[in-house]
Amino acid sequence: MAVTALVHRLAASAPVPVFAAVGEDGLRAVDRLAVDPRVDLVASPLHAALLLVVGTIRDDDRPELERLHDQLPHPRATVSWGGNAVFEGEAVDGTVDPLPLLSDMHRALMTRARPSEPDLLPNAPPNDWRGKGDFGQGGEGMMGGVPYGRPMPMTDDDMRDGLALDAYSAPFGPFLPQFPAGLTLDLTLQGDVIQQAKVLRPPYPQHESGGAAVALRHVARMLRLLGLPARAERVLHDGPRERLAQTLSRWGAFAAIPPGLGMIDGTDVRGRLRAWCAEAGGGAGPVVEDDGPLTDLLPGLEWHEAVLVLNSLPDAALRRLVPVPKPDDDQGEHKHEHHHDHHHHDHDHGHGEAHG
Amino acid sequence: MTDLLAILIAALGAGALVAPLLLMGRSASALTEPQKTPFLGGSAPRTHAWQRYHARYYSMTLLFIAFEMEMMFMYPWAVVFVEEGMKAMVEMGMFLAILSIGILYGWREGIFKWQ
Repeated sequence: MAVTALVHRLAASAPVPVFAAVGEDGLRAVDRLAVDPRVDLVASPLHAALLLVVGTIRDDDRPELERLHDQLPHPRATVSWGGNAVFEGEAVDGTVDPLPLLSDMHRALMTRARPSEPDLLPNAPPNDWRGKGDFGQGGEGMMGGVPYGRPMPMTDDDMRDGLALDAYSAPFGPFLPQFPAGLTLDLTLQGDVIQQAKVLRPPYPQHESGGAAVALRHVARMLRLLGLPARAERVLHDGPRERLAQTLSRWGAFAAIPPGLGMIDGTDVRGRLRAWCAEAGGGAGPVVEDDGPLTDLLPGLEWHEAVLVLNSLPDAALRRLVPVPKPDDDQGEHKHEHHHDHHHHDHDHGHGEAHG
Repeated sequence: MTDLLAILIAALGAGALVAPLLLMGRSASALTEPQKTPFLGGSAPRTHAWQRYHARYYSMTLLFIAFEMEMMFMYPWAVVFVEEGMKAMVEMGMFLAILSIGILYGWREGIFKWQ
């Protein structure tokens, strides 16, 4: 089939679509890949051909990594870069540039010279549902049963006005590109407003000494989150310099952040971004002394606001603000609690129910 | 004859658009269970993704449509009113009465309260 061969050749010559799962000390390497034109760092495994595991991964995160692996469409392959080698695929040392290997593997996958990696998890729904109930929907009535293997979300009071609609409660992370690497939060959402937040796993330490280059990468990351990827690339390309805050201000980056968002020690996200800019020009970076739990800041915020708050914090401060989760806090207990408390509307400002 | 030719060309054109899509759909393998779950950064969702949430702008939309419909029909109605007189007046009254039910409902829901 000449056409198929041509399509395969074209696919192989495109930038390598990579999903990066970032572990301990992996952030610097991924930030470098983000500006490389030969790599397309995608936001979801469904768009990726290669799973790149950067840095050391905790044993706790292994099941999540396996699920991520299985979410990549065929043909797929895994590369682990530095840190502990994961289940299969190729492994390269942290000091070696993985790009030649990435493009070789991508070409081999696209031309079908290399076989796709098989699933690691069983191809079965979490609960048996098919054919059960009157209409084969997996249970009785409108809200009962487990359609497609999972129960329906139950109603809960919205903290804004007490309207009882379905609250979506799910663990987010540890490899969500918008979150600091490794951070896993148990969030309850109404629409895109966070009602409750609980830390399941802390972020990975990145052991970065600080300084202008690190601050610049932080500014670039925040610009990317604000939907300005080309500006982020330009900031990194131009290198550390003074008066970066004025440039960002001209681009409207500060105006895109709600004022007073994520106030810690009298500084909001805008202030911290300004401090990151100052540090990139040789000044002082953001200082976060407070150690009140981060989970108190998140309820009441919309999703994009919460993501900005999480990414505005320095690595060390973020790890301090994240309370260590207690091992006896199991999910069943949490679920029970959230389905039966109906007094959120008594709270006039963003605090949901404290868990555990 | 030319009509038939045009239909034939249109059919061929439609076929050329649809056939690759059908072929692509056939060659794509079925999704596995992990691929069917929404992407949460590796974690698995606890509940089904089908959930009801509140479209909070609905009451403003109701108000907007009520007033917009009023204005839209009142301009041409002004011309008709000159010719028809009282009959057009009564008809417009009925129309506005129906629209005002929506506005009254919005009032009850508190859309005129500035918060």
